[in-house]
Amino acid sequence: VRRVGRLFRGRFWALALKELRQIRRDRRLTISLIVPPMLQILLFGVALDPDVRDLRLAVVDESRTPESRELISALTENRTFRLAGSYETTEALAVALGSGRLDVGVVVPYDFARLRVRGRPVTVQVLVNAVNANTAQIAQGYVESAIAWLNQRPDRARARADAATAASVSANGHPAAPVARAPRVQLRTALLYNPGLVSAWFTVTGVLGTLITLNGSLVSAATMIREKERGTVEQLLMTPASALEVVSAKIVPLFVLLMGMTGLALIVSRLVFGVPFRGSLTVVVMACACCVLAGIGIGTFVSTFARSANQAQLVMFFINPPLAALSGAFTPIEAMPKWIQPWTQVNPVTHFAAVARNVLVKGAGLGIVYPDLLALTALAGLLVAVSAWRFRRQLSA
Amino acid sequence: VRRVLAQARKDLTQMIRDRLALALALVMPIILIALLGTSTSLTVTDIPIVIQDLDQTPLSRQYADAFRSSLTFRVVSLPTDMSPERALALGRARAALVIPEHFARDVRRERSAQTQLIVDATDTNTALLTRGGASQITRAFARDVAGAVRPAVLVRTSTRLWFNPGREPGKFYGPGFFVLALSIFPPLLAALAMAREGEQQTILQVYVSSISAPEFLLGKILCGMVVGFAEWLLAMALLFTLFGLRFAGDPTPMLVGSLLYLFCAVAFGSLVGAAIPNQAAAVQAVALGGFLLGFLLSGLIFPVENIPASLRWISNLVQARYFIVVVRDAFLQGGGWPAVWWAVLAIGLIGLAYFGFAWLAMRRMQVRA
Repeated sequence: VRRVGRLFRGRFWALALKELRQIRRDRRLTISLIVPPMLQILLFGVALDPDVRDLRLAVVDESRTPESRELISALTENRTFRLAGSYETTEALAVALGSGRLDVGVVVPYDFARLRVRGRPVTVQVLVNAVNANTAQIAQGYVESAIAWLNQRPDRARARADAATAASVSANGHPAAPVARAPRVQLRTALLYNPGLVSAWFTVTGVLGTLITLNGSLVSAATMIREKERGTVEQLLMTPASALEVVSAKIVPLFVLLMGMTGLALIVSRLVFGVPFRGSLTVVVMACACCVLAGIGIGTFVSTFARSANQAQLVMFFINPPLAALSGAFTPIEAMPKWIQPWTQVNPVTHFAAVARNVLVKGAGLGIVYPDLLALTALAGLLVAVSAWRFRRQLSA
Repeated sequence: VRRVLAQARKDLTQMIRDRLALALALVMPIILIALLGTSTSLTVTDIPIVIQDLDQTPLSRQYADAFRSSLTFRVVSLPTDMSPERALALGRARAALVIPEHFARDVRRERSAQTQLIVDATDTNTALLTRGGASQITRAFARDVAGAVRPAVLVRTSTRLWFNPGREPGKFYGPGFFVLALSIFPPLLAALAMAREGEQQTILQVYVSSISAPEFLLGKILCGMVVGFAEWLLAMALLFTLFGLRFAGDPTPMLVGSLLYLFCAVAFGSLVGAAIPNQAAAVQAVALGGFLLGFLLSGLIFPVENIPASLRWISNLVQARYFIVVVRDAFLQGGGWPAVWWAVLAIGLIGLAYFGFAWLAMRRMQVRA
């Protein structure tokens, strides 16, 4: 306790003040604390939209009857598909699909109306451009549910079909069964937490953690390496300050600045993207603090290995994309290969995204998010401890 | 031409001397493509789902079994003292299926029986997939139950998935990250080489020599393209082996497009390096420009059409957007020249524009020096 008390006396403040002044004078650093993070959160939130809509659908209508036109309008009635033209032959459709001008093609057979009226099953061919697996799956689902809806609707063709069966059955002397009937099993879907399916709520809460960690590590690597580049490490060694004081005096001002940046990012996500802040803000801020510390830890760690700011930045360049991509912030972890999944657990961004989504979107309390928060704290503590140890060794070397 | 080649050779020698950068430049694209290309996927299989069966009849169990046997879902047991909502809040499952009481009775009386699916919509895309999968299963189940009584009058669909019949995400994202790697690493090296000339003031030596500005630039770009081509070869080998991709049609648009793209990317890097004669800052600018634009505004993960119209026009200026079209066409659709000539042309035009701007930036650098 006495050592900690001594730590926070005069020398620490003097060093911390020196760091703050140095950061403030570095115009580029200040800009890089504000501009890239804001740009990133805005761009990501706006551009990463997994919604599947306005897919280009074209038809080959060999039937040309009211029944076939009804089918086509049933398909293009919603936002998912828009009619991008019709073709004379299946070959022309195939060429258009192959050149990427279409996403979905539907071929209605020439005997569509006749078979419908007679109450026989009709097969409609659906060609999906499956280059994008996700879009293809969702598009296929939409086509099938649109056709299921058509099957269930007591429509004109169906009524004629019923009349036909009824006539044929009663001719045989049997009572006609009521044919047009509501489906027997219906699934009602309720979407919890995000009923409007606003994709920005998912993206922005994911970007937040990436943003904090990546920018934190970049900025801290830049400030840590400066002493080394300018050769002022020796001067630090000559001061009566202990290594611990030097390290913490370096970390604390950075921490304060980065928390300011985080606050700004939170405000943007609330005001611009309307992310609902359902749970306790304190928990989120705690997670943010851990994430900032983790970022500082990564940055400091890299800076102790690199010889110049240049090298440090190149190395960060190689650490960051995997850190962002293997976090579940943008794509679900469950969709990753099985052998990668455990590795996402040592990524601070993973846990931050879990906490942010649970608390902000789902309104969960500490009782639910504590495992992730604990993991995040442990990771941050570990990273800071290791990097501080490396930094101290570098000072005494 | 001789001066261009000499300049390129000098730059290559310089690059080979910088072992760390060279090793990183050759190895990192491969690791990036392999790691991200295989791990990026939006389509979750095995979505954890809990089933609350309030009916407990053979029919309701048959319905639940339909979910159990599907590849989309993985049924997680629900403790009896836990409500489905609680299970979702705890994150044990992504969806909950509630089968109401009298489910079997309603079905047998040919009344409509309603079941409920509660979906955790935090992840909107997975929520859509969950809803789609569950309704598919329910429709099939309803058809089976009805089919036992009498064949239904139906419009059936026979769906063909073209170009990627297995719906393998790797075949979509592999080429995507191939493009991303080629839009980051070659310009990065080019920007570093150019900024170094500015930083170490060796650019002055160039001005007093007999080499002209476009010759100097072309030499630099040629050197960058050689390194980029090495990266391209390695990355192509990866696409052919790890991702199991083959040329679907005419490979010439891809080859021409790749050369133009390398030129374009390296010219972009040289432009940044000439405009910002500071290596650290140049790296950051390439990172922000190349990575962010290439990742977000190119249709790499999500379709460009989803970007709001007010921002979408920017993506027309992003060279990666066109190259992605060319690469995906070459490997998956196989449309050849008629399908992608415009994209190849656009890459060439953007490359020329970058070259022009880099020339201008070099002139300004000269004035400053």
